[in-house]
Amino acid sequence: MTIFKTLGLASSALALSAAIASADSTVRFWYHFDNADNPMDELVASFEAANPGITVEAENIPWNSYYDNLYTAVIGGNAPDAAMVKMFAQPRLIGMGALEPIGERIDAWEGKSDLQDNLLELTKAEDGQSYYLPVQYVVLYLYYRPDMFADLGLEVPKTCEDFRNVAKQLTRDTDGDGQTDIYGFGFRGGKGGHDHWGSFTLGGDGVNLVGGMENDNAIAGTQFVMDLFQEDKVFPPSAPNDGFQETIGGFKAGKTAMTIHHIGSANGMVEALGDNVDAAPVPSCGGGQWTAYGDESTAVLSSAEDKDAAWKWISFLSESGNNAKFNEATGQLPVTKSDSDGWTLHPKRFVDATVNSLPFAHLLPNTPETSDFVNTVWPVAMQRALTGEITAAEMNAEIAKLYGN
Amino acid sequence: MTGTRLGRSVLPYAMLSPAVIVTLAIVFLPMLQTAWMSLHDYVLFRPNDFTFVGLDNFIAALQDEVFWISLKHTVIWIGVTIPAQLLLGLVTALLLNQNFPWRPVARALIIIPWALPSVVIALMWVWIYDSNYGVMNDFMLRLGLIEQAVPWLADPKTALGAIILTLTWQGFPFFAVMILAGLQSIPRSYYEAASIDGASTWRQFWHITLPGISGVLVTSVLLRTIWVANSFDVIFVMTGGGPGYSTYTLPLYAFVKARTNLDFGYGSALAVLFTLLLMGVVMVYLRRTGKAVQ
Repeated sequence: MTIFKTLGLASSALALSAAIASADSTVRFWYHFDNADNPMDELVASFEAANPGITVEAENIPWNSYYDNLYTAVIGGNAPDAAMVKMFAQPRLIGMGALEPIGERIDAWEGKSDLQDNLLELTKAEDGQSYYLPVQYVVLYLYYRPDMFADLGLEVPKTCEDFRNVAKQLTRDTDGDGQTDIYGFGFRGGKGGHDHWGSFTLGGDGVNLVGGMENDNAIAGTQFVMDLFQEDKVFPPSAPNDGFQETIGGFKAGKTAMTIHHIGSANGMVEALGDNVDAAPVPSCGGGQWTAYGDESTAVLSSAEDKDAAWKWISFLSESGNNAKFNEATGQLPVTKSDSDGWTLHPKRFVDATVNSLPFAHLLPNTPETSDFVNTVWPVAMQRALTGEITAAEMNAEIAKLYGN
Repeated sequence: MTGTRLGRSVLPYAMLSPAVIVTLAIVFLPMLQTAWMSLHDYVLFRPNDFTFVGLDNFIAALQDEVFWISLKHTVIWIGVTIPAQLLLGLVTALLLNQNFPWRPVARALIIIPWALPSVVIALMWVWIYDSNYGVMNDFMLRLGLIEQAVPWLADPKTALGAIILTLTWQGFPFFAVMILAGLQSIPRSYYEAASIDGASTWRQFWHITLPGISGVLVTSVLLRTIWVANSFDVIFVMTGGGPGYSTYTLPLYAFVKARTNLDFGYGSALAVLFTLLLMGVVMVYLRRTGKAVQ
């Protein structure tokens, strides 16, 4: 009898401690928002009200050092329980054993059928498992100033040749002081600018980051970008170092007449320029068209103490309604069908430019080398090429060397 | 009696041991760990692959073009920044040592660049150098010194110089304050006696002031050399090492390799090589200046 009592007491204690543990769950979540309007507090409050016992500590990490911080935190044993993640980081995070497979959870999740078609396929890992749950997406397109085009009687460029022609005409000294006031294109030569270069280069016949960087078309694509800067001078002189803030800020301030970005910056553009901003698919170059598919997902980290709680939180962000709220602030597009129907949070012209760019939108290669391509190899090689230290062939050879090894 | 003697001999060690243990744990252990990692092929996104490669990382570094570019920039970085800071600091200290109204206010103001965080300074100077809106270009265009706005941080010819100017501005107050303290320790009577003997201001400076502050100068230059050599936060914020490799220094390169590329083996080898080089420089400096001061 005493043994039974003891066992009973012990099991009650265990059940109680499990309940306490469950009640005390904390999900540490890392994300990166550029926008000042941050809906995260509101989403967290809403989640915590619906899930008593789970506390979410959401931390906004600056984008420039997001992955440096994430990788170091994983290695240092201080990784968050869940995080926003992009596809290029997936192979590396899997290699580090940092991701929890969530395929079974997704299959059992009510919200799965509401996700846009194909997103789960796009975000699957090479081993066939699912580690990512999509939370937003974008496709890059060309922003342009219709008023400047109209003043000069120019058409929106459809090919790289058109692009070069209009960019040269748009580059002007408007007040006659001998200084260029408006540049044709705001090129992003700093980290993240591979999307700009890719639009002019990766559409070419036979051009591919893996195994197709040293052919004539690929070299001509890089040379085209270099010529725009060195010969035509249609980029601002600061282009080699420019990042997101500089390119978008320059366009909003009227310093540049075109740039490439996605719908995430559309509302800010309209706020600054009103009707004097429009968008179109990027031009076709070298016989084909290429633009970047900008993915953003969430993942449960394998080190998460309470994986159920972490999953509940990330799935909450990809559910109808919550996903809309999330994307209202980030300015990107919802991944749920129900939120996408009748989406009115962006002017239609930018949604159209996104949809029209989808047929030729691509993800970067899903390999461990892509992290180095994005973070160091591309920015350094592009900056050296723009400033005349290396040739187009040498720049492409560096990329080929990275993916070849 | 024996107990007291034993206590007296043990007590100093007992009192010092916490500091020694903490120093060993947070300084020497990571140093040893870095040296050990530098002998391995250790890439953090392949955590289970920790292969001993001997001196391969060091040999690879010596054959790495970026290592030599970074080393050259590090030499320029230290070789220009320290003398510039020293000279500016010396002139400032001599001025602040004079009697003039509002001298305490001037002394307080001069410390501001030193007191500001490096990131704030870096961001402030990025704006100053901006080719579209920066005051540097505006100022020079108005004076007719340049004809076109210069992209100071985006041009490999000017980027390193622009950052050196920023760090010179940030660091000269340290020299100014240290030298000022040294100047105030020189008895006024030396100058009075020299004046009576008819010594010129220059001879007073050469024979009284310089010997009087030589100890301070040696210590300050040594400290700043180590700090400046190791500091890369200003470079990291202003250019991230770009454009290309034009503002890469060795600590920055080691940081990029370890933190961005996650190649801790190679990054550690770079850090170890740089530490050895810096130790060599410091030892030569101490030997030479130590003799001179004595």
